[in-house]
Amino acid sequence: MRLLPLVLLLAVAGAFAQNHAEHEHHKMTVDKSGVVMNENTENLPRDCEKIEAEHEFEIFAGRKYANDIPGTIFGMSETDVTVAPCSRVTVKFVNEDQIRHQWMVHGLPKYLYPAGMFHIEAMGGQTMTGTFIVPGEDKNYLIHCDMAQHMEKGMRGQLVVGSGSGDLWSVPGVSDSFYRSSYLTTRVASFVALLAFVAAFAVTWACRIRS
Amino acid sequence: MQFLKKHGIWISALVVALLVWPPQWYPMSVKLQMTRWFGAADYRPLPASKDPQAVQAEGFCPPDPSGWRNAFQIEGVDIQASAPCVADNPYIVAAVVKGTNNVSQDTLSKSGLTPDAVEKGRDLDGDGDPDEIHIRLEVAELNGGSNTSGNPVTQYDIAPGIRPGLWVFAPKFVGMAVENFESNIARNSLRLPSPAIRVEEGDSVRITLENSHYMPHTLHLHGADHGFTDASGEGNDGVPITSEIPVLPGTARSYELQPRHTGTMFYHCHVQPHVHVMMGLQGLFIIEENRPNNTLQTMNIGAGFVRAPSVASREKYDSEYDLHYLDLDKELSERIQQSNDPRLVTKSMHRDYDITDATTDYFVLNGRSFPYTFRESLVVANEGEKVKLRVVNGGGKGIALHTHGHKFTVTDRDGAILPVAARAPQDVVWLATSQRVDLDLRFENDGLHAYGPGIWPYHDHQYSGVTTDGIGPGGNISAITYADYLDDSGWPKTQGVAWDNYFTEKYYRKEIPVWESYMPGLLSEAGVDLRLLLRIVIFAIALGVLAASVLRRAKS
Repeated sequence: MRLLPLVLLLAVAGAFAQNHAEHEHHKMTVDKSGVVMNENTENLPRDCEKIEAEHEFEIFAGRKYANDIPGTIFGMSETDVTVAPCSRVTVKFVNEDQIRHQWMVHGLPKYLYPAGMFHIEAMGGQTMTGTFIVPGEDKNYLIHCDMAQHMEKGMRGQLVVGSGSGDLWSVPGVSDSFYRSSYLTTRVASFVALLAFVAAFAVTWACRIRS
Repeated sequence: MQFLKKHGIWISALVVALLVWPPQWYPMSVKLQMTRWFGAADYRPLPASKDPQAVQAEGFCPPDPSGWRNAFQIEGVDIQASAPCVADNPYIVAAVVKGTNNVSQDTLSKSGLTPDAVEKGRDLDGDGDPDEIHIRLEVAELNGGSNTSGNPVTQYDIAPGIRPGLWVFAPKFVGMAVENFESNIARNSLRLPSPAIRVEEGDSVRITLENSHYMPHTLHLHGADHGFTDASGEGNDGVPITSEIPVLPGTARSYELQPRHTGTMFYHCHVQPHVHVMMGLQGLFIIEENRPNNTLQTMNIGAGFVRAPSVASREKYDSEYDLHYLDLDKELSERIQQSNDPRLVTKSMHRDYDITDATTDYFVLNGRSFPYTFRESLVVANEGEKVKLRVVNGGGKGIALHTHGHKFTVTDRDGAILPVAARAPQDVVWLATSQRVDLDLRFENDGLHAYGPGIWPYHDHQYSGVTTDGIGPGGNISAITYADYLDDSGWPKTQGVAWDNYFTEKYYRKEIPVWESYMPGLLSEAGVDLRLLLRIVIFAIALGVLAASVLRRAKS
C-alpha cells in the first residue's frame, strides 16, 4: 500500500500461488504491514459513467469488538457499510489485535477485480488502506475475514450498495444466524415440554369432566 | 356355529401365526421334530447378489501442473526432486531456507508466506549460516463449524470423504484460508500435521505464537532444551498451570530457546492437552548438528520428504523423511462442527467430552490416511541407498511401526543417540505416546537390511491403526517404494487389486463390499429376502389380531 497504486502483475500471485486449479492474475501490494489486493482507484465498472460519490471508512478489527456480541470471539467495528452506487470507497482497516486480520469484499465484477474480490489484510497492530470502486447495481456484498473460523466467529459483514438486495444471513448486529444453536439442554427442553403437555392435558380433562 | 363365532378369530390368527412363523426363528428342537416328520425342506435359492455398484473413483494421483515435483534451484537453494505424486511447494522450501525476509518478492509471493513467517538474522558463530531464527506460527481450524453452512468449512480430507475437525499450528500465509472464494477447501499447505520445524544446535530461536484461533493456546517444546523462563522472566514452558497465562485469541507471545543438544523433539499446545494435542496442535521439532554453511529448511510443510536436508543429513544419508503419526477420535473432532458458538464448543470439548471413555477412529501419517498416504508419504529410494526417518507418535495410542522387506536400526530415541552396542536391526519398533525414534533404513539387498526392490508397505502393526474407522485398508499404511516401481506421475506400480474402491467416499462410508471389485457376484452384497419380510409382516398382523381378540375376551 505504501507503494500506492503500484500495480504488480504477478504471474502467480501470493495467496493463489499455491492453488493449482486457479492461476489468476491479482494486482497486489505486499509489505510487512499487510496486503492490499486488487486495488482500483480509476477504472469504472461497466454500468457506471462516472464516480458518483466518494466514501471513506475507518474500520477497526479485533477481539475487543466481539465483547458486545455474544457467541463471537473476533469482531469489526462496522459490520454494515452502506455506499452509493458507482462510488469510490476507501477503507482504512485498523487491526487492533496482535494477529492478522482481513477485510475482504466478494462478488465484485470479475472483469475489474480478479476472482471478484477486493482484499485488505493487516498484520497484527497494523493499519492498511485500500480503495475500490463499486458498480451501479443495488446489491449486498459479503465482507469477511477469511482466516480460518474468523468469519464464523464474528468477522462477517455486508457492504450495501444503494438500496441493496436484502440482508445477508448471520451478520452480527444485522441479521440472525442461519444456523442457530438451541441454547437449552435436551433434558431441560424435553422435561419442560412434557410438563406443559401434561398440565394442559390435565386441565382440559378436568374441564371436560365438569361440563 | 356359536363356537366359531366366539372363538373363530383368535384360533385362525393363531393358526396363521404358527404357519408363517419364520423358519429362521424355529427353536432347534422344533426344527429337528419337523425334519423327522417332513424331512428336509425343498431347495429354495438364497437371495441373489445385488448388482455391483458403479464406483466413481477420484484420480489416484492429482496432476502436478506447476511441476513442483521436479528438482529446483531457487535463489541458490538446491531443492531435491520429490518422487511421490504430490510434492511440497518448492518456493516455500526456498523461502524457509533463505528466510522469508531474505527472498525476492517473486519467490515470497509464490510461496504464499508473509515476509515475517520465518525470519533469519545474523550468523552468530561465523560459520556461514544464520543462527538467529524467528518463526511465526498461527493456529488454524480445519473442517470447523459454521453458522452459515451445513458443511464443515476450510475442508481438509484425510481420506476420501473423511473430514474430522482439526486444529493445527500453521505457517503464516498471506490471504485466504481456502483455495478461492467459490471453494470451501483449505488452501494448499494449510494442512495437518503442523509443520516439522528444523533448527541448528546453538541457534538463537524465537517462536512467536500468533493465536488466530478462538480458544487459548500455548507452545510447549517437548524434549527441546529451553529455559523455564525467558530472558525477561516470562514463562517459557507453555504450561498454564506452572509457567504462564496461555496466549489468548487475538494475542501473540514469543517463546525462546537456544538448544544445546541435537535430536528429534516435539512441540505441542499445553492448554487442556488431552483435547488440544489430540486435535492436532503438535509437530516435530528437530535440532540438527551445528555444521558450517548449514542453512536449514526451517519448516517441512506436512512433514514427509525433506527437500533441502541439512549438511549432516546429506553427509550420512541419501535422503531424509519426517514421519508424523497421529490418531484421532471422531467423537472429539466432530464437536467443533456441531455448534458455531465458541462457548458451546468449549463446553462440549472440555467438559462433555470424556477422554477416559474415548475410542480412536482415525490413524494418520503426515496428516493423511490410506490411500492418500500413497500420494505423499512414500519413502522412495534406490538400491544401495541409505535413508533417515525421523518418527514421532503424536497419537494417544502406541504405535508398533513395522516395515515390510526391511529391517531398520534405531539410532536415536527421544532425541538422544543410542550407543552403537545397543543397536540391532528391527522390523517392529514400539513408539509410546509422544515418543520419537530416528531410524536408519538401508536399501542393501543382503537379506537382513533389505530383501530387494519392490513396493514394501510400512504401517502400525496394531490392527486398528491400519483402518479408517474400522474399514481396511485405511489408517497409516504407506510404503517403502523403490524408484523403479514408480510411474512417471509418481504413482507406485502396484500389482495387487484395483484401488478404485479406496478412492471413493462410499468405501469409507462402509457402503461397498470389500471384495466386490475382484470377486463380483460371489462376494458381492447379498440380496434381501422379501419372502421373509412378508412372513414377518403377516406374523406380526396375526399376533396383533390374536392379542386384541384375547384381551377383548378377557375384558368381557
